[in-house]
Amino acid sequence: MIQYIDVDVRPILRAGGEPFSVIMSALENLAPRQGLRLYATFKPIPLFAVMQKKGFAHTEQALEGGEWEVLFTPAETQPDEPAAAASNFDNWPDPAVTLDNRDLDPPEPMVRILAEADKLGPGETLSALLRREPVFLFPQLEKRGFRWLGGFTSDGTAYELTVRAPS
Amino acid sequence: MIGTNISRWTMTYFAAALAWLFVALGLLVAGVGYPAGDIASPDTLVLVHVICVGWLSLAMCGALFQFVPVLVAKPLFSDKWALPALALLTVGLLSLLGGFLCLGGRLPPALWLLPLGAIVLVAGFGLVVLDLGLTAWLRPTGPARFVLVGLASLCATIAFGAIFAFALAGWAGSVGGVVLASGIPLHAVAGLGGWLTLTAMGVSYRLLAMFMLAPDVDDRQSGVTLAVGALAVAFAVAGGALAVGLAAGLQIVLSIAAVLGIASAALYGRDVAGIFSNRKRRHLELNMRMATLSFASLAGVALLGIALVAFDAFLANVGAFAFLAIFGWLSGLVLAKLYKIVAFLTWLETYGPVMGRAPTPRVQDLVAEDRATKWFVIYYAAVWAGTAALLGGEPAALRVAAAAMTVCVAGIVHEIVRIRRLADVARPLRLPVGVVAPHLLFARK
Repeated sequence: MIQYIDVDVRPILRAGGEPFSVIMSALENLAPRQGLRLYATFKPIPLFAVMQKKGFAHTEQALEGGEWEVLFTPAETQPDEPAAAASNFDNWPDPAVTLDNRDLDPPEPMVRILAEADKLGPGETLSALLRREPVFLFPQLEKRGFRWLGGFTSDGTAYELTVRAPS
Repeated sequence: MIGTNISRWTMTYFAAALAWLFVALGLLVAGVGYPAGDIASPDTLVLVHVICVGWLSLAMCGALFQFVPVLVAKPLFSDKWALPALALLTVGLLSLLGGFLCLGGRLPPALWLLPLGAIVLVAGFGLVVLDLGLTAWLRPTGPARFVLVGLASLCATIAFGAIFAFALAGWAGSVGGVVLASGIPLHAVAGLGGWLTLTAMGVSYRLLAMFMLAPDVDDRQSGVTLAVGALAVAFAVAGGALAVGLAAGLQIVLSIAAVLGIASAALYGRDVAGIFSNRKRRHLELNMRMATLSFASLAGVALLGIALVAFDAFLANVGAFAFLAIFGWLSGLVLAKLYKIVAFLTWLETYGPVMGRAPTPRVQDLVAEDRATKWFVIYYAAVWAGTAALLGGEPAALRVAAAAMTVCVAGIVHEIVRIRRLADVARPLRLPVGVVAPHLLFARK
């Protein structure tokens, strides 16, 4: 049974701070068979590679309001209770379509994503780069039964969105 | 759910706000209140509250119900409070105006209308503040912080207003009388400066960046603008209240607040200039071109204030100063942004369900900018002429300017109704299969 230590870096991120050192010091204090449960205001994609090198697998789950809960598990064991939503995001295929919508006039980015998403086969995904979080797009995706994952890139200059057609 | 739905009652707020704007312009044309009457007369109170509560506050609330969720990328705390709040604000304002008319002898004496109106307005604004505040509080970064400070200023404004209403009805004892005698500038600073101006600034940061494809203003940079503006309002209100309590003059407090206010306006000008120069979209739409006339008016307000103080003529010309702030800066900006917001929301509501599945028009296909431009340009010209008329002490010229403003607002409203009715969308694209035409006054579920 893996025990998870909670690390909530959302207050640090909201205050514009850099949570990396906090996460690393929490990591150093872990006992064997302990993992980290990280809460962040975005999907911490760059951290996944770092943690993998340190021997941790990750499963992530979107929380309400664009926030994320990530379980980092020592690699030789698997999480005992994989979060239901997290497992649903496993095995997403590579995107069938890639869009760069960063320089389109609004609301063209949204129109193009919806047009391309409607052409996807069952379970296929598309990925799109945007200038900002497409808040008006999400309800439209939801109404059409699509699932999505999104977050700002680590340098904060683009929003990366992956949309998956219902399978 | 993540993301932002269309706010159901934003159009209703806009319609109610525009109706009050016509009432206000009608009063100006008819010569009711300042400058024909005294600036402190009950008739002027009717005029000022029709403009600030009926027109500007309702329009601002309608816009915030839609855009605070956009600022924080979370749904509104409660969808169900917007319509009851509008009903309370309307009834409260009518009661307050009735009380002012009694005060001026235009209605039989029923001064209880004033406290009643105040209580109902407090309830209505209370619902708005709670709903928007609890939403913005979820992610208090960037422009959402302006909204929070604006809402706090709104609370200060209505607190003063409620004390005045009770005092005017004779229900507030000697303390109420003291506050009424010297607190009116604080009520005005908190309302016009804190609530309306800081909130308009905050929302404009995101709207301007969004519609011009510009990077967001750095949080720390806009934070300085906000801090200086908030300090100006807080200093005026808290320092002013202390001065009233100590029976000292307000002169020094208001002078310092004015310096801070001008500094905040200058910093805001720097931020907006940055958004314009960093924009990726070179072509400016009508709403942006017209917004620049509002920014020019705000600069004019600051310069006029400095000039009037330098020549020791501020108190004699406070009406002209307020007129330019209300109609040039705030009303002009709200009208220009309404034109864009209504088009965008109507487009999203109407064509969102079929987007990508059927050919749909662009947002710009809903508007006829060439036709609308003249109304906006003449409107601003009339506002500036009206300001000059007030400065020159020509009430008749002001009524002519107000008549021109009324015609232009009617022209703009006509354009907005045409947008809502999809009247300018070419036939084959107008109503593809699966699309329902929007209702004029609210968004369908």
